[in-house]
Amino acid sequence: MNAVYDHIIAILVVGMIFVGAVVVLPTMSIVNLQAVDQQQLRNTALNVFNAMLLDTGEPVDWGSFRSFKMNDPRVQRFGLASAQESKFYVLDPDKVQRLVVGNPMNYCDYTRVRELLGLQNYGFHLRIIPPFNVTFLDTHVTPCCVNYKASVAYLDGTPIPNAQTYATVVYAKGKDYFNITQSGPVGTNPMGICEGTVELGITEPDYYMVTLRVTVADVATLVATSGEPFNNTIAIINVVYDTLVLTSTKDPPDYNEPPNENVWILDIVAIGSQGLLWHLFDGTKAGQDNKFNTGVGTFELWYEDFPGLHDFEPVVFIFNFWAVDPITGLGRQQVLIVMAYPDVLGTSVFDYGGSLKNVRGASVKVQRSVVISSMTYTAELWLWKESP
Amino acid sequence: MKNKNGQMRVIETILASFIIVFALSFANILAITPTSQKYEATELEKLGYNVLHDLDEQGLLARFVYTEEWDDIVAALRVTLPIDVYFNMTVYYLDDTNVTKVNQKPISYGYPETFVTSKNIASITYGLIGYPIGNNSTYQATYDPRIIILQLARG
Repeated sequence: MNAVYDHIIAILVVGMIFVGAVVVLPTMSIVNLQAVDQQQLRNTALNVFNAMLLDTGEPVDWGSFRSFKMNDPRVQRFGLASAQESKFYVLDPDKVQRLVVGNPMNYCDYTRVRELLGLQNYGFHLRIIPPFNVTFLDTHVTPCCVNYKASVAYLDGTPIPNAQTYATVVYAKGKDYFNITQSGPVGTNPMGICEGTVELGITEPDYYMVTLRVTVADVATLVATSGEPFNNTIAIINVVYDTLVLTSTKDPPDYNEPPNENVWILDIVAIGSQGLLWHLFDGTKAGQDNKFNTGVGTFELWYEDFPGLHDFEPVVFIFNFWAVDPITGLGRQQVLIVMAYPDVLGTSVFDYGGSLKNVRGASVKVQRSVVISSMTYTAELWLWKESP
Repeated sequence: MKNKNGQMRVIETILASFIIVFALSFANILAITPTSQKYEATELEKLGYNVLHDLDEQGLLARFVYTEEWDDIVAALRVTLPIDVYFNMTVYYLDDTNVTKVNQKPISYGYPETFVTSKNIASITYGLIGYPIGNNSTYQATYDPRIIILQLARG
């Protein structure tokens, strides 16, 4: 009987030791395991980030496909680097545009990009942040001039003195007058404020918009446009390499619905990254090649090739339409639409990928300085593990 | 006698288990694993090189250093580095025997104590060999080395 008791006690003690070992040993090494785990995650994040920012992808011009399908199967490998630049961390704006969810010219969604990058068991979030902030404080017209006042500040809100600002004023009056006037540079004061006056070719324009190109220490440039955003019912402006494409503001398949109004394109002007102007298109109010209807025809309302446009590195597009006044809805007017390109960037933060909520503790972040259309941004990649 | 042998085996097992646990604990203490702090510093180093190389390629770094535009360097680094990265840069002049600090004005951003208290400080050394002078027809560069030490820390 005693031997039986001995064996039972022995089994219990050995069992307790086994359970203790199973619980205690991993606890003792959990810190090291977590460090190794985070190191592996960081290595993966670096490799993924390099693939995104240094690789052109396959085909190398995948972002510039004119007929890009949703999650286009022709894209074999993912990468945002420009194929025309030998420098590192220069991104192709056309490829960045293909990450814009809701892009009327189609895009690659998060699931497709994860698949292309081989990240099925990981989640990621890509963020592209502008280098500083530009805020319009005031714009107003005196009889002959447009006055503007803007503040330039670092992302933490500290003002930036000595930033150089170049103003471009686009204005229209009556049925025929359209003009663009540039001025500058005007430096910001120690409070980061710049004030300037641009003399106009006419008095009291009906429409005007001020676009500021702000450069800090010759290294970072940002473009900001004044004016309250209005409900654009005319067309969405898209750029694919050298081609400008106007698409319906209504979502497919219901784009052939009222309002269906004829619109003529009177002028298209591009502003390059160095501040140069290019008058791309000059149309009339009776032309057929510059006319479209907002509720009739195909989803692509109008397109035109402009050879050399991509190399010009446009940062702003100005469209002057002959259309029904979108604010009053009465009568036909010259309507100005100014768009920053790539329109996802401008002065706002671009976000793409999975939600960052509830993953910050178990995620890693890597950052790099990148250049898009000669403008510097900070790219951030967050990576975390997900259960399969 | 048999019973005593059984008890001894149990005691032996317990002792053996303790020895194994102690051995593993000791191994864990001695084990050098790549800590996340170390990798954070490496990541900051890569970021720092990325930014300095970018400025150098644009021809701005040499201009800022040789014409002593310290305010412009601060502005350039602040707009190109992420907002949560603090920096402290020192420029040295190098001659045959001496290394002399060039910038008498601090080239820094962030709380100075961060560079004393932070465990993760990345230090990047970047060399400039000279600054080109002249126009397109008479382009030349004088050998006039500068050494840039850029320290980065997370704020």
